[in-house]
Amino acid sequence: MTVFKAYLKVLDKCKVPIIIYTVCLIFFGAFSLESNREQMNFTKVKPDIYIINHDESGTLTKNLISYLEENTNIKTLNEKNITIEDALFYRDISYVVEIPKGFTEDFLKNRQPKLEVKSVGDYEASLTEELLERYMNTANIYLTYFNEEELLEKISHTLKEEVEVEMTSTLDSDSLSEIATFYNFANYALLGGCIYVICLILSSFQKDLVKKRTIISSLPLKQYNRSLFIANSLFAIVLWLVYVLLSIVMLGNSIFEIHGVFFILNSFLFTLVCLTLSFLLSSLIDNKEAINGVVNVIALGSSFLCGSFVPMSVLPKSVLQIARVLPSYWYIHTNEYLKTLEVVNFSSCKQILFNSSVLVLFALLFIFLNHEVTKRKQRIK
Amino acid sequence: MTKNIIEVKNLTKKYKENIAVDHLSFEVKEGEILGLLGPNGCGKSTTINCLLSLLTINEGEIKIFDKKMTPNAYDIKQKIGVVFQDVALFDELTVIENIDYFCGLYIKEKEKRKKCIEDACKLVGLEDYKKYYPKQLSGGLLRRLNIACGIAHKPSLIFFDEPTVAVDPQSRNHILDGIKRLREEGATIIYTTHYMEEVELLCDRIIIMDQGKIIASGTMDEVKALAHNHEKISVQIMNLEEETKEKLLKKIQKLQGVIAASFENHTLLITAENGTEILETLMDRLKDFNISYQHILMMPPTLNDVFLELTGKELRD
Repeated sequence: MTVFKAYLKVLDKCKVPIIIYTVCLIFFGAFSLESNREQMNFTKVKPDIYIINHDESGTLTKNLISYLEENTNIKTLNEKNITIEDALFYRDISYVVEIPKGFTEDFLKNRQPKLEVKSVGDYEASLTEELLERYMNTANIYLTYFNEEELLEKISHTLKEEVEVEMTSTLDSDSLSEIATFYNFANYALLGGCIYVICLILSSFQKDLVKKRTIISSLPLKQYNRSLFIANSLFAIVLWLVYVLLSIVMLGNSIFEIHGVFFILNSFLFTLVCLTLSFLLSSLIDNKEAINGVVNVIALGSSFLCGSFVPMSVLPKSVLQIARVLPSYWYIHTNEYLKTLEVVNFSSCKQILFNSSVLVLFALLFIFLNHEVTKRKQRIK
Repeated sequence: MTKNIIEVKNLTKKYKENIAVDHLSFEVKEGEILGLLGPNGCGKSTTINCLLSLLTINEGEIKIFDKKMTPNAYDIKQKIGVVFQDVALFDELTVIENIDYFCGLYIKEKEKRKKCIEDACKLVGLEDYKKYYPKQLSGGLLRRLNIACGIAHKPSLIFFDEPTVAVDPQSRNHILDGIKRLREEGATIIYTTHYMEEVELLCDRIIIMDQGKIIASGTMDEVKALAHNHEKISVQIMNLEEETKEKLLKKIQKLQGVIAASFENHTLLITAENGTEILETLMDRLKDFNISYQHILMMPPTLNDVFLELTGKELRD
C-alpha cells in the first residue's frame, strides 16, 4: 500500500498539468466529433451560373433555360465593368453556358449543335455539367420518336420524375460514423494521456537512488512492481472510463447497441496496449523534459499515420502499409470495420478477432521489451 | 563477548578484467562504528553495494546478523538502513511524506510508523520543516532529510556513505550528533568518509582500503602504530640568517631520535621518533643560538600520514 499511496500522492501533486492535458484532449475530441457531424449532413445546393443566349426565340432553348432555372441560380452581371472571366475568377458564378444562334433549329434537324461552356472546375460546376448532360441526353433520346411539341413536353415530364430510393440496410451509418470518429480520436487521447501521465509519475519512482533505496528495503521487489502496475492500470482504466462516459454523453443511446459495445471493448483493449507501451517508455526515458517530446512523436505520429484525425480511406496505401507496424492501425482498423459491419456473427467478427489478437500481441511484446530493457539497464549499472 | 553483526570472508568483485574488491575479509562487531576509508575508486562503494546485495559477487561469503546475505533476504534487510552520499528523494512529496514513504517500505503499522517519523525528524532537527518540499530546503537540510529517510525505521545496522560531503557546519554537527545518538541507542554503523576528524571523532575501528584490498585495520592507535609513524615538530622562526640556519640544522640533526630536519620558508620542520623527548633539548639549542621563535607546534601522525607511508599517495588522491 505504501507504494500505491505514494503513487496517488505524486499523481495528486502533478494534477495541474494532467488536468490541463486531459481537458485539452477532451476538448479536441469533442471538436473533432462536431466538425465531423457537419461533414456528414448532405443538403441540395443550386449552383450559380450565367447564360449567354443567342437563340432567344427557340422553343428548346426556352425549355432548357426553364429547366436550368428550376435547378440553378441564373445570375445576371449587373456591374458594367465586370466581365464573365472576372465573375468566374471571383466565384460569383461557377459555370457559363453559351447557347448558339439557331440552337433549337439545328437540334431538331439533328445537326448536333454544341453548347459553349466555361467552368471553374469546382463541385458546383460539375453539378451544372451533370444537369446539362442529363437534359441533352434525354432530348436526344426523344428526338427520334416525337415531334417538336411532344418532345418538349416529354423532356419536361421526364426530368421532373423523381425516383424513391429505399435503403434496405438497417445500419444506422450516421451514428456509427459518429462513434467511429469519436473512438478514432480516442487513439490520440488514450495514447497521449497514458504515456504522459505514467512516464511523468514513474520517472519519480525510477530515479536511480530512489529505486536503489527501494531495492535494499525489506519490501519484496515483486510486491513493489505489482503495486506500481496496479496503480498505473487503475489510472489507465479511469482515463478509459472518462472517454467512455464522454462518448455516452456525446453520442447518446447508440453507444449501448451491439456495435457501440464493440467500439468500447476495442478501446479497452487499446488502453491495455497504451499501458504496456507507457511502461516500456518509462524504462527508456530518463528525464522528465523528454516526456513531452515522446508524447508528441508517438501519440501524434501514430495518430496521423494510422487515420485517427483523417479517415483511413483517404490515406495513401503506402502510408497504411507502414502504419501496420503500429498498434494504432489495428485499433482504428477495427473501428472502421465496425462502421460498416452489417450483421454481427462469428464469421463477420473474424476480422475484429484478428485485429484484437494483434493488439494483444503488441501488449505482450511491450511487456517483454520492458522486461529486457530493465534487465539490461540493471546489468549496465 | 560482543557478537559479529557482519562477517565478510574472501569477498571478490570483478568488472570484466578489473578487480574492484580483492579477497576482502573483515568483521563488524555489534554496537561499533567502523570507519571505511580510502581514496576514490579504492572499492569502498563496491564493498558496500556487495554487502547490500545490490551487486552480485564473484567469490566469497557475506553474513549479516549471522545469516547469508542475498537479494531476497528481506528479514535481514528489515534491520538495515542506508544513507547515500547523494540525496535520494521524491521532489513531489513533502519532508514528512518522503520520510513516511521510505519508512513505509519497512513498517506497515501506521501508528508505529508515525512515532518513527517523529523520532527521525527530531534526530536530524527537521521538526520545523515537515511541510516543506525538497526544493525549498538548503543543501544541509536536504542531507538531514536524506538521513531521516534512511534511518526512520530504526535499523540496527546503518551504512553511511559520506553523509557530510558539502554540508554546512551547523548541519554537519547535527548529523554527527545524530550518528552518536544512534550508536548510543545500540545501532551498528559503517561509516565512509574523507574527513579524518570525523573518523577520529566517531569511529571505534577503521579499515583503510586501496585498490580493493585492506591495507590497514584496527583502532586508531593500532593503525597509527602499524605504520611506525613519527611525530612532527614545527617551529616558526622569523629573520634568521642563512649561516645560522645551517649551523642550527647540523646541531639538531645530531640529536638522538631526530629522523629529519629542514627549513621551509620561516619554519623549521623536525621529524622525530618521539617528539616529547627531544622538545626540551630543542628549546635549549634555540636558546644557545639566541633565536627567538613565534610558536612551536607538535603534531601526532595523522591517518593521511599512515596512508601516505603505506601507499605512497594521499587519501584524497
